[in-house]
Amino acid sequence: MIQATKNYLAFLGRCGRIACAGDWRYYAWMGALTVLCLLGLNAYCKQFAHGLIRTGMSDEVSWGVYIANFTFLVGVAAAAVMMVIPVYIYDNEELHDLVIFGELLAVAAIIMCLLFVTVDLGRPDRFWHLIPGLGQFNFPASMLSWDVIVLNGYLLLNVHICGYLLYCRYQKRMPAKWFYVPFVFIAIVWAISIHTVTAFLYVGLGGRPFWNQAIIGPRFLASAFTAGPALIILAIQVVRRVTAIASKGEAMPWQGNSSASKTVRQRAATLDDLDSLVRYLPEFASVAKETRQAILPDLRVLEVSTGEVLLRQGETDKHTFFVLKGRVVVEREESGRHRITRSAGPGEQFGEVSSLAGTPRMATAVAEEATQVLRVPADALRKLMKTPQLNRIIRARMAERLMITDRALMILRGIVQVAMTINVFLLVCEVFTEFYAGGLHIASSKYLYLGLQGHHALVPWIWTAIAFNLTAMILLVLPLSRSLKWLNVTCVLCIVGIWIEKGMGLVIPGFIPSPLGEIVEYTPSLNETLVCFGIWAFGLLCYTVFLRMSVPILQGRLSKANEGQPEFGVSGVSERAAL
Amino acid sequence: MSRRSFLRTSAVVTAGLAALAASLKPLMEMNDFPTAERFMQKYYKELTPADMAKVLKRIENEVEKQYGIRPHVRDLKPMDGVEFVYCLNLTRCIGCRKCVHACVAENNESRNPEIQYIRVLEMTDGSLDVYKARHNYNPEMVPEKGFFYMPVQCQQCENPPCVKVCPVHATWQETDGITVIDYDWCIGCRYCEAACPYWARRFNWTKPEIPKDRINPEMSYLGNRPRRQGVMEKCHFCIQRTRAGRYPACVEVCPAGARKFGNIRDPDSEVSYILKNKRVFIQLKEELGTSPRFFYYFDV
Repeated sequence: MIQATKNYLAFLGRCGRIACAGDWRYYAWMGALTVLCLLGLNAYCKQFAHGLIRTGMSDEVSWGVYIANFTFLVGVAAAAVMMVIPVYIYDNEELHDLVIFGELLAVAAIIMCLLFVTVDLGRPDRFWHLIPGLGQFNFPASMLSWDVIVLNGYLLLNVHICGYLLYCRYQKRMPAKWFYVPFVFIAIVWAISIHTVTAFLYVGLGGRPFWNQAIIGPRFLASAFTAGPALIILAIQVVRRVTAIASKGEAMPWQGNSSASKTVRQRAATLDDLDSLVRYLPEFASVAKETRQAILPDLRVLEVSTGEVLLRQGETDKHTFFVLKGRVVVEREESGRHRITRSAGPGEQFGEVSSLAGTPRMATAVAEEATQVLRVPADALRKLMKTPQLNRIIRARMAERLMITDRALMILRGIVQVAMTINVFLLVCEVFTEFYAGGLHIASSKYLYLGLQGHHALVPWIWTAIAFNLTAMILLVLPLSRSLKWLNVTCVLCIVGIWIEKGMGLVIPGFIPSPLGEIVEYTPSLNETLVCFGIWAFGLLCYTVFLRMSVPILQGRLSKANEGQPEFGVSGVSERAAL
Repeated sequence: MSRRSFLRTSAVVTAGLAALAASLKPLMEMNDFPTAERFMQKYYKELTPADMAKVLKRIENEVEKQYGIRPHVRDLKPMDGVEFVYCLNLTRCIGCRKCVHACVAENNESRNPEIQYIRVLEMTDGSLDVYKARHNYNPEMVPEKGFFYMPVQCQQCENPPCVKVCPVHATWQETDGITVIDYDWCIGCRYCEAACPYWARRFNWTKPEIPKDRINPEMSYLGNRPRRQGVMEKCHFCIQRTRAGRYPACVEVCPAGARKFGNIRDPDSEVSYILKNKRVFIQLKEELGTSPRFFYYFDV
């Protein structure tokens, strides 16, 4: 128990150290975010001291841009986790590597949500009145009490899932299914619930006809499924770019040096080699003696020195490799950039996917130091995998890689495409119902889309949002958006369009005109805007730190095995120099 | 750690802490920092009589310190067999807004920024549509020709949406039909303000200001004691008066006799007579099912 706690603290300590280290771009980005956070904190302190009068809100428009951002971000948080559905229910391989990024985004988004609700409170010092058991919790009558439960529950669920999976990966042990899979399924249902509950927050108010419509719930989900994956498409491309080990077009040292692999020293494998493998891969011990004897003649031991290539992306051969000594990095070139997808130390395998499937190599494997590997042909590997224990560990490690393929991005594009189309359709339904039938209750819609009695602060905003959403929808159905450049433009349009439509475009018109027919407009104050920027900056800061910690873990470069060694990036030695 | 990196790290940490301190500086301007006693105060319904006595004493001290006048703060309970109902004669109301100002004075409402519980609407003859009403009418003389006047305040609904949505039970309906707020329990989320179909609730966007000589010292816990920054308030049928057998301030001040108030469970009360004998009543936004205890009627 004490040892386990110690190990965990060591893990957290290393994560913390990695979060504080990086190149100048990382420092510049984190520095800029910190400055924004502090400006936001300063603005909030002013609001805390003098009251919400420092915002643009009034008794007529009593919720503003805080609650608008909250609503938008709940959607992002919900959608980020819904991406796990294709992975866990349909076993989609391409998205598998992105699940963690989605869940981490959900965590960051929920943190922002909680902050936005907190800064909107008139008496944040009385937050404890909301704690069930301690205060007075109006559950289940108040939808806000539901929101308190679902948001905090969702945060815990996602922190548990991400934290557990990453820690297992760090320790290079297999996650116990019962300890996370049930939570994944709960999180899927929960994701729908957080967004539905947030919609009901508005829908449940009979005195506000603009909100009191059943379609708001479905619209929330559709817009969330558009903006969430769109954000992830952009985020993972940033991850791809900043984790590239060489900038675009730059050749890696081993490229064009095809003779390198010929200098590899080979020899036949012996039973001693298999025994030394057992030391790092205990599961190998369960392989029957007869099997070992039978495959031995096909196995070879290869010895390579630093920088030598063991297999090359695009080539076809059918070998799997187990590292006996040293370390191998597996890197993949995509869209002209090289990225590390995995790092294999003693006892770990690489090359098994194309070996078993007979497909071209998806990546290039290079020795990071003087290395000894065991080369296993596909047939021999199949025989080995008849041993259940070994089969399980090899299968588990197949998933241990960080592969952000363009195809994964295209799957996300498909999700955004469908969601945006539904979102636009639901918007059309709503606008038709409002304007065709007419009547008194459409005053808010009139104010939003056309302006009311000379007041039209929101009109340019909502038409911008509609233009963005329509353009995005058209781009998404065109093959044009299969190119990453256009896809990125589309994603930005989606995010901005939905932020306006469902943040400001939903919250503010609900209050205008007031229930007594008075029209008082709302513009966020400077102080309020600074608080918003501060919270967004803090959310981005959290997400950056999460990614900074998790990427090397997913790549296998930060693990328990290399505890005590100088951290890469921390020691100042460039990762590329090691190659 | 080398000397150089030590110096660099400590420079960064110092700069960071200095920036953090600078960001937190506005907290020094805070004039209403919650004391431990106020922070820990229990929920109204959980206060024992002894607790309540202590709380009332504390409030009296605080008001005296702030406004230089010793108030008399009570915690008046609802009376048995009493359910208050309000009737407002739209034929008689002349739109003079005397009720608005009497309410402000009686209930210690903030003068800066201005908080008023009653909003008088100038309605075009022939229409009850509030969307066509004028809020800021300001003629030389009221009533103006072609208009009638409809004052709106908390309707004391039988089925109040504001109570349902409050996440912390800071607002509730008492047995005499008055929906009250525990100002010391409200967290200021303003969900009730969004839920109210009558725009009856007001928020203290900053610290309320009342001139010292304008304080009404006759106070009650759930009624007109001074509020703090960041909490909701609204009309409570002048709980400090009505639970002691007096009329609300707005009823007393009305020069036209348009406002009638009383106990609906007493068959001989004025409101019982009106509700029995007048042919048509208007409950605002009746279709929402809130069932207000506030009835509008016409003489002719």
